[in-house]
Amino acid sequence: MLLVHSLTKRFPIDDGVLTAVNDVTFEIGSGEVFGLLGPNGAGKTTTMRIILGLLQPDSGYTEVDGLRTSADPMAVKSRLGFVSASDGVYPWLTVREMLLYFADLYSVNVTEAASRCESLCDMMDIGDLLDRRAGDLSTGQRQRVTLVRGLIHDPPVMLLDEPTRGLDVVGVQTIFDYIDILRRGGKAVVVCTHRLDEAERLCDRFGLLHRGRLKHCGTLSDLKEQTGRDSLVDIFVDLIRN
Amino acid sequence: MSNDTNDPLSSRRAPKQHRRSTQAKSRLGRLCQKELRETLRDRRTITTLLLMPLLVYPLLSMSLNRFLVTATAGTSEETPYTIGVASDAQGEVLLRWLDDPMSQPPPAVLKASGGQLAKFRVVNTMSDNLSPVEALKQNQIDLACEIQSVAPPKVHLTAYNGDASSGAAMRILTERLQWLRMARAEFVAKAVSPDYVPPAEVTVEKVGKVQERSMLGTIVPLVLVLMTITGAVYPAIDLTAGERERGTMESLMASPVRRSSILFSKYVAVVVVALLTAVANLFAMFTTLWAGGLLPLLTGGSEAFPWLAVLQILGLLVLFSGFFAALLLSLTSFARSFKEAQAYLIPIMLLSLTPGMLSLMPGVSLNGPLAIAPLVNIVLLAREVLQGTAEAGPAVVTILSTVGYAAAAIAIASRLFGSDAVTRTSQQSFGTILRRPEQESAAPSPQTAAVTLALLVPIYYLVSNVLIRIVPDLTIEWVLVLNAFALALTFGLIPYLAARLSRCRPATTYRWRMPPPLAFAGALLIGLGAWGLAHEAFVIAQSLGIGGLDADRIEKTKQTVGAIKEAPAWLLVVCLALAPAVVEELCFRGFLFSSLGKVLSPGRLILATAIIFGLFHVVTGNMLLIERFVPTTLLGLMLGWLAYRSGSVLPGMLMHLTHNGLLILATKYEDKVRFLGAGFDDQLHLPPSWMAVLTLLTVAGFALLWIGTPKPESTVSAAGAWET
Repeated sequence: MLLVHSLTKRFPIDDGVLTAVNDVTFEIGSGEVFGLLGPNGAGKTTTMRIILGLLQPDSGYTEVDGLRTSADPMAVKSRLGFVSASDGVYPWLTVREMLLYFADLYSVNVTEAASRCESLCDMMDIGDLLDRRAGDLSTGQRQRVTLVRGLIHDPPVMLLDEPTRGLDVVGVQTIFDYIDILRRGGKAVVVCTHRLDEAERLCDRFGLLHRGRLKHCGTLSDLKEQTGRDSLVDIFVDLIRN
Repeated sequence: MSNDTNDPLSSRRAPKQHRRSTQAKSRLGRLCQKELRETLRDRRTITTLLLMPLLVYPLLSMSLNRFLVTATAGTSEETPYTIGVASDAQGEVLLRWLDDPMSQPPPAVLKASGGQLAKFRVVNTMSDNLSPVEALKQNQIDLACEIQSVAPPKVHLTAYNGDASSGAAMRILTERLQWLRMARAEFVAKAVSPDYVPPAEVTVEKVGKVQERSMLGTIVPLVLVLMTITGAVYPAIDLTAGERERGTMESLMASPVRRSSILFSKYVAVVVVALLTAVANLFAMFTTLWAGGLLPLLTGGSEAFPWLAVLQILGLLVLFSGFFAALLLSLTSFARSFKEAQAYLIPIMLLSLTPGMLSLMPGVSLNGPLAIAPLVNIVLLAREVLQGTAEAGPAVVTILSTVGYAAAAIAIASRLFGSDAVTRTSQQSFGTILRRPEQESAAPSPQTAAVTLALLVPIYYLVSNVLIRIVPDLTIEWVLVLNAFALALTFGLIPYLAARLSRCRPATTYRWRMPPPLAFAGALLIGLGAWGLAHEAFVIAQSLGIGGLDADRIEKTKQTVGAIKEAPAWLLVVCLALAPAVVEELCFRGFLFSSLGKVLSPGRLILATAIIFGLFHVVTGNMLLIERFVPTTLLGLMLGWLAYRSGSVLPGMLMHLTHNGLLILATKYEDKVRFLGAGFDDQLHLPPSWMAVLTLLTVAGFALLWIGTPKPESTVSAAGAWET
């Protein structure tokens, strides 16, 4: 469903050149939740932005549903759902107007968009907020609206960048439920996070990024076997210290 | 949660890859609708849109009325000049004099000065326990008058320094008393001497149409333009930089919609808001002026509401909104936050005021370069529309140029919008640009070229100004040497230092390589012939009103020509031909060519360097020699193509040297080459026979170059220099 192959991306910085993503390769299938893990600055968000077609890789490529991003970026974008780390909303639009706007961007038929908007908001328990101005929502409510926004066009692949950032316990549980729905809906899901405890509960497989390199990739038991450690936290600490 | 048919995730719909154009258009409409909805719901937009015009214009009208009342004091029954005296007796004397028909100016004088007799009101200031002078200082009267009852009576007038009304009162009263003295003297003269013959009797009349342009006629369009700008600024920032600040830009850019479509919808929203602001301001302003009885000042007499002029101005504001909205979006699309966008827009707002103020200056009218000057042309055209003096030619040029600017600004904005949504390069500090790289490179980066150009502008301005200040005290030899030295110091040294600091290899940076021999032959022929084409371009540009030499400039040029004739030929060639050929070619077709060639296609590269070359030749001291732009840009295009085709800076140097050398020597030996029959006059076309020979030489030169050099590759090399 999603293939990332030998991806490399460099940025010019004050001291020279930073290789943010260095020869990263992984693959995710339908109904699978993949945790792209790493400390801040490991290259998670950059990898995600390359998949989304927001950044051009210096080498390597990505494929979504068999389509290469560089060959047909618009078709790839229409197959991707994206939940950004920032819960940005249009403050002067109502929740419904905003969701329908994004549905329109993804060419979803107006009637179908209205129906999906209702059902997804009911699912995320924000059905009663549909006609409220987005600027008046709380942080948790905004996050739920953002999650619905990412799903409005029913994409086969979902990318979630730090979805639990700034959320309370209830908010985090909402994200867990949401990802579970995605998994059961047959989506290929990439979750970028540095919260290892959450990742351990959520993900089927893991990719551990450090300084742009994918150090380990596999299921939790694979990683334990590879490193001889008992938990993701221990594996990570080793990775950073070494 | 169940995975049944009601589950929203189970109704997966394959996205359509090919949408019909009608669907795309209707979606574009919906995108525009969303942007408008978002903007018009914002209270800040509504404040600028409606409340400002509703409040500002009545206040402005009241201030203007007050100003006009003060300015027109004494010219009507309602607003007479007030003269203060110290007693009722003095007041009676003064009124008697003023009421005496003999104190009135003769009909001819009255007609020549506008036909209105000033009115006076005389008050005794002592009733308020104030001396007339004290009352004057407290601005209670216009003029203080003291009359001493002696024979003859003595009148002492005191006016307030700097007060126009007070000054006018003093002047008119002095004249009235003078007329009284003269009329009485003449009366007595006639009575005493029957032979008395008065001097010539004068009658006056005026012909022709009133050409006076009221200040209000210019201020009104300027205020409307500025208010339109104000209305467009907030939505432009909010819909672009605001997307980044709110955190919606990334999601927007991740959607499968072309950036240009999203930007266009935002453009439509900004234009609509700007237009609504313009309409609100236009009608609020005209209604206020109409209600306040000030319309005649604007329209030149008629008190009827000028519907046609209002609609015409509205049309111009539509045009202006289209242009300025595009300009604003091209700037705000680059900004990452509201604060940054505001920092970009403040200089633009200030820059907008400068041409606006220019249009207020007397004698400025819509013709020549002003018809293509953004903002000024719209303000001037609106003024002429209001006063019914607009002409079709300049109006069409104004409209077409504004449409062109708008199209260019939209093109730039759609390239910029969202391009920096996520890249980390924008996080680089200013220090990155100045930091010396560790590795050597073949050519400077475009950023280095931009910084170098940014440094060259003020330094060149400074150096050329200093030169002009010291030139009058120097001999022509010293002037020539200093000129060459200044050229080397600016266009030579600054790019060289930039190349050294950015560790660029000199040979590749300056494109210093040996081209095929035929390239030199071609360059020589072009150099011999091109001056004729440049001269024709200069003459044609002048006839189109682009620049122009006034009498003072022609006189200075003659002085320079005279000085050149005195200087030794070798020094002239070295300083005015060889030095520019070497230094300018190294800078423009070497340094800039290799640097900008990293990001520009050959055609754009040649055009960009030619325009920069042309612009630098326009700036001389603190004067803008606009007439030099067209010929030097044309030469820049030829030199650019030569440099591109030959892959080297050397043939361009030869062409530049030949061209300048020929012109300089022809100027020096003008008297000796008169037998050739050419009129070396800046204002005239060359004789057809000359043009035929010069064109033939140029074409032959280009043909030689075409045949004698291989076609350059259409891509830049990894090092950034053009491969040939």
